[in-house]
Amino acid sequence: CSDDFLEVEPRGQSLESNYYRNAQEAYNGLVAAYDPIGWVGQNYVAKEFALNVASDDFYAGGGNSQDVPAIQAWSSYTLDPATGPQEELWRRSYSGIYRTNVLLSKLPNTEMDEQLRSRFEAEMKFLRAYYYFDLIRLFDRIPLFTEPVAASELGNAVQVDRSEVFAQIEQDLTEAIPNLPTQIDAATEAGRATQGAGKALLGKVFLHLERFGEAAQQFSDVNGTPGGTSQYGYKLLENFGDLFENENQFNEESIFEVIHSSASNWGDWDCIGCTEGNLLNQMSAPRGYNVLQQGKGAPDFIAGWGFNIPTKKLVDAFIYNDGSYDNRYKYTISNLDSLEQAGIISYEESYQDTGYFLKKFAGEQEDRSTGGGNFELNWSQNFYDIRLADTYLLEAEALVRGGGDTNRAQALLDAVRNRVGEESVPATFENILRERRLELAGEGHRWFDLQRAGLAAQYLEFKGYVEGKHDKLPIPLQDLTNTQLEQDPAYQ
Amino acid sequence: TVVDGDGIPLPGANVIIKGTTTGTLTDFDGKFAIEAATGDVLVFSYMGYETVETVVDDQEELMITLTPDAASLDEVVVVGYGTQKRSVVTGAISSVNASDLETMPINTVGEALQGRTSGLTVAAASGQPGSGATIRVRGITTLNNNNPLWIVDGVVVDDGGIGYLNQSDIASIEVLKDAASQAIYGARAASGVILITTKSGKAGRIRVNYNTYLGFSEPAERIDMTNATQYAALRNEASVNDGEGVVFNDLSALGKGTDWQDVIFNDSAFRQNHELSISGGNDVSTFYFSFGYLEEEGIVATDISNYERTNLRLNSTHEVTPWLTFGENFGYSRNKSIGIGNTNSEYGGPLSSAINLDPLTPVIVTDPDRLSQFPYNQDLPFLRDANGNPYGISQQVAQEIINPLAYIQTRLGNFGYSDNFVGNAFVEAEPIEGLVFRSNLGVKLSYWGDESFTPINYLNASFSTAETSFTRSSNNKLDYNLENTLSYSDEIDQHNFTILLGQGAYKENEAKGLSVTKFGIPVDNFDDASLNFDVPENKVVANGYENVPHKVSSLFARLNYNYAEKYLFSGIVRRDGSSRFGANNKYGVFPSGSIGWVVSRENFWGGNNPVGFFKLRGSYGVVGNDNVGDLAYLSTIGSGRNYAFGDQLGSYDVGYSPDAPANPDLKWEETSQLNIGFESRFLNGFSLEVDWYKKETTDILLYPRIPAFAGVIGNPARNVGDMENTGVEVNFGYSLNKEDYGININTNASYLHNEVTYLGDGQEYLDGGVAFQSSTFPITRTAVGEAVNSFYGFKTLGVFQTQEEINNYTNANGDLIQPNAVPGDFRWQDSDGSGSIGEEDRVFIGDPTPDWSYGITLSGYYKNFDFTIFGQGVAGNQIFQGLRRLDIANANYPAKAMERWTGPGTSNSYPRMTNDDPNNNYSNPSDFYLEDGDYFRIKTAQIGYNLPESLLSSVGFEKVRVYVMSENLLTFTKYTGFDPEIGGGVLSIDRGIYPQARSFMLGASLGF
Repeated sequence: CSDDFLEVEPRGQSLESNYYRNAQEAYNGLVAAYDPIGWVGQNYVAKEFALNVASDDFYAGGGNSQDVPAIQAWSSYTLDPATGPQEELWRRSYSGIYRTNVLLSKLPNTEMDEQLRSRFEAEMKFLRAYYYFDLIRLFDRIPLFTEPVAASELGNAVQVDRSEVFAQIEQDLTEAIPNLPTQIDAATEAGRATQGAGKALLGKVFLHLERFGEAAQQFSDVNGTPGGTSQYGYKLLENFGDLFENENQFNEESIFEVIHSSASNWGDWDCIGCTEGNLLNQMSAPRGYNVLQQGKGAPDFIAGWGFNIPTKKLVDAFIYNDGSYDNRYKYTISNLDSLEQAGIISYEESYQDTGYFLKKFAGEQEDRSTGGGNFELNWSQNFYDIRLADTYLLEAEALVRGGGDTNRAQALLDAVRNRVGEESVPATFENILRERRLELAGEGHRWFDLQRAGLAAQYLEFKGYVEGKHDKLPIPLQDLTNTQLEQDPAYQ
Repeated sequence: TVVDGDGIPLPGANVIIKGTTTGTLTDFDGKFAIEAATGDVLVFSYMGYETVETVVDDQEELMITLTPDAASLDEVVVVGYGTQKRSVVTGAISSVNASDLETMPINTVGEALQGRTSGLTVAAASGQPGSGATIRVRGITTLNNNNPLWIVDGVVVDDGGIGYLNQSDIASIEVLKDAASQAIYGARAASGVILITTKSGKAGRIRVNYNTYLGFSEPAERIDMTNATQYAALRNEASVNDGEGVVFNDLSALGKGTDWQDVIFNDSAFRQNHELSISGGNDVSTFYFSFGYLEEEGIVATDISNYERTNLRLNSTHEVTPWLTFGENFGYSRNKSIGIGNTNSEYGGPLSSAINLDPLTPVIVTDPDRLSQFPYNQDLPFLRDANGNPYGISQQVAQEIINPLAYIQTRLGNFGYSDNFVGNAFVEAEPIEGLVFRSNLGVKLSYWGDESFTPINYLNASFSTAETSFTRSSNNKLDYNLENTLSYSDEIDQHNFTILLGQGAYKENEAKGLSVTKFGIPVDNFDDASLNFDVPENKVVANGYENVPHKVSSLFARLNYNYAEKYLFSGIVRRDGSSRFGANNKYGVFPSGSIGWVVSRENFWGGNNPVGFFKLRGSYGVVGNDNVGDLAYLSTIGSGRNYAFGDQLGSYDVGYSPDAPANPDLKWEETSQLNIGFESRFLNGFSLEVDWYKKETTDILLYPRIPAFAGVIGNPARNVGDMENTGVEVNFGYSLNKEDYGININTNASYLHNEVTYLGDGQEYLDGGVAFQSSTFPITRTAVGEAVNSFYGFKTLGVFQTQEEINNYTNANGDLIQPNAVPGDFRWQDSDGSGSIGEEDRVFIGDPTPDWSYGITLSGYYKNFDFTIFGQGVAGNQIFQGLRRLDIANANYPAKAMERWTGPGTSNSYPRMTNDDPNNNYSNPSDFYLEDGDYFRIKTAQIGYNLPESLLSSVGFEKVRVYVMSENLLTFTKYTGFDPEIGGGVLSIDRGIYPQARSFMLGASLGF
């Protein structure tokens, strides 16, 4: 036989050496670079879910204290290098970084329109900054790559100073913003990075670095006149509850979304990480949920897995001194305990049951996927990574903390409260933080807010949080073997 | 004088006066002298020859001719591309002959091998009819695919496809165990080679044989579970122990409740088998035709556990001219199998549900009170029995633990099938005597698929289906191989030699398939389901695939030489090229050599040596393994990195990125093996064969983890690991065959020691391991210095009886080692001496692979009666029994939980009842879950009766035999699960294995 007989070609698969030839293949690479934003780890770790249970707003819940150990460990602050969400969150960001680096290295040789090329490059830099910003907020010292690393070089990689990472993030965003589109075609492009998203992210980076003036500047470009429509077309949605209806994805309040989809049809138990679905929908719905009496106001939840249990502290935060509930409460939380006592529903108590469930994200019957794959893994609700109410409050924070325009800060805060029919409160840092807690409950911001405000130790002590240690996650144990990486001293 | 069929004297033949101990042996010239009286009967016997009896009259000299016994010394062994006389074979080859398998209740080839040869570890994957077996030749050779290479009449048949074969068509099975024997199959032989030859016709009159058996199967073993009262008591106890109130107030009303094993098990599952063969021929053509049909109902949830197989075979040879032969072997089979779903899984299915469902739930709900309550008062699509009563839905457990009868309703009619056409055609030319050219084309064409329908249903709060769905999948593949060989054999002055040169090309695994599902078709059962129904486009899901083919191209050569059948030598070299490797290492060369010395043929051995035959042999060789997946050496761009841009639900974009860095240096795994053994026959009827081997596998292909910060999905393949197997195999036999009675004993035993010797620099163990439910820790670990996938977990040191014992269990600082423990919790071994209990305290606690595998066949006859008892067993392994769902706190308990700790002195091995389990008594994988896996099983017991010839001749039959038999009659084991025989990728992990059935059957064979 000739040697030709032994040559086989991959089918439905290309080789790296001859890919990224044209705009379509570059686009396919771009999709892959966005993909980790919606990362669902093989062991059920998704970024928003993990950050929720790490905060004072939620417990892990689940079947028992061993159910999804990675999540339990962060909720109860029993993190160690082997157990915790660090492995998945680390992998999520570095997968995104690798894919942006691959495409950035290939784009110069791709045959494509120059304008399109520069937009792709800008999106890759935006994404690289996005992923590094998550990493540098979650971990102490990390290795920094701006091009794909050969397998043989991995052993030589070292961690760099935090300031180097921030410098790279700032540089990437600064370079990206001018080339990101101000408007995109919602029908086909919604979800891709825009100039508004770029500025909002840069504002968040500046705020994190306490460069308040620069932060406020970026946010104000995004926000425009409080309560009005900004230059990018952003505007608060009229009805707060509509934010969490599936059909309202990519609304005018949305700046950058984490996209989930039920359409991929192929998330199944063998590859949980393959799904494009929103796991929090499945995980936060109550276990063994049954509606016993129809038409009595019982929520239309599916029977889920009972994770992400709201704490009493979160519920209390919604209650004003006069005993009235904030108007956002009913869109945010369901009190199943009282419904059960009324005999309207029944459900199985989760570990750490409080009787409360996160209504914003608990999966509902009407949204249950009827396509292929396991419906449990194919929920389609998106998360808001950044939305206008969020940037209003962040700008207000930057102004208040940085000694900026307090009138504008007040106007921004009022606009958020106005929308839900709540009266004005003074624009203090404390009030802004509380507002963020109510407005953004369950959307994965609270833990970062507490860190930024330096309040984590105080607010998370009840969960076992140790100051100076738990502000970061340990470097994943497995990445310390056969590498030059060093563990965060706090976890040694 | 005693001579053989060619008139050559036989030295060392036995001569005995029948009924006495008086006897002698023939000398070097075949002569003997014995004093006997007229009328005495002299018995002449010689190993490998048929025994002859002669009545003494007054003659001085006797000329006795012994004819070779076909079943013994001159037995030929299939060695790959030819045959060899057993007496001159230098490799370690085990054989199973048709006669060992006749009328045995064997459905798969795996069963035919189990216990019948040494050097194999065989464990049925499950008792589901038609399921295969895990077969390991001399242990676990690699960390990749360990399945042996199957070759049927020269056709390579993949492991999953061997089930098509009808055992009654098998003439012989040869297992090539040492590298010297395997080397002729080079790069794919490392995990052993199993050669199967099917039957052929013989010149002469046409013979018809019909064999049938029919019978019933039942489960042999049940697992003792708690009844309703005991269950409720344990629930109460757990609840109280966890600081909560009692759950059930009145235990006395509960009674025994439902025994779910009664519900799913069938004590009279039907099975039948029919085999018809017609064979014959003349001096030009011969043929063998057969038809077979077997049906076997499963003993678990019989409505959805069933297997049917139909076989056809036609083998023929034709002499075109005296020097040119043409022939073909063609087999067709159709399998239809209906499976229960999970046959060894804790996640649902009838078995898992029967173990985990609470006994409080009724099978059907008839109580009107209950029917008026939730959920039965709801308008939900409950599944109902024939009388319209809804099947009970548990109020205690949920998730996949579903009333098995309701579950069965959702799967009725679903089936899988396969059609296999396996055949070969050859021409053989012998232009000059001894020079043979042979060209063989082998083809395997397979079609397989399945159909399933799911009705609208409500099984429990977590499992319901709002829309019907009907799925059909179909797959096909065509494998072929073409081989040409040229051989020359001759004998010059007792120098016997055969030279073989060969070339082969192989293409396999080019499978293709399609699967379509339509949702929402307007029917409620499988029989009415059809893809003809029109449904909206978004209710149709279609998928397809095609595999990358696996191709191999080979050249090989072999020299067999012997001098006077006394000094033996064999040398083989094979060069293989495989599509699975890159340009740097596409080809591999695999050499081997072996020598033998038939000591008993030396003059000094002496004619009257009680050991009639003795052969020493040794071999060394290298073989390879390319069974490691396609394209592993390339950096491929993979899809599936999807993201759903755009403001419309129900669509997404497919993203592409590199999978893993390339490794162009990827190459074969290599296994070298040294084998030393001897074969002997002694004391007229005994035989003993012993082998020792040491097998080393190097460059095992692994995917060592690269750091996650590399950001790639996969890890590049690299040749990293090493492992070693050493073992001893013993075969012992005794045979006595007289006219009226006879007895045969065949035993074999194999000892095996497996050890991983290298996993990469600084790499002590592989990541991963077998998962155990929701436990944080896997239950197995592959580590240097240990057997592959050894059990790994925490070690218990008894149960804390008192708080004082907990307080005394302290570390160097005086701190409690287990501060969370309360009396009744396990005392964990602080293996790393850290003073606290954590993951570092896990140690190796057992080995799933048996050290010993053995088999015994005892058969005999007396006049027209005959019997066979065949037993098989293993020893030295542990079984991990993880039956109870940990994440379902209210799952039923095994009855042994009644022996739990309830106060000081009550138990030192079973901890207290608790759901919160702060000490992780139950959620830690530990030796608590391990049991010894030793067992010995009477696999087959059969008694037959041959109708006397006088009766037969009147009806024209040559042979009529009727028999009764039992399969799996008795199993001797201490194991407490359904069945200690648990196959699978890693053996001996019991998650609720589908047990093997015990059957009782009545059979008959007719021949004319």
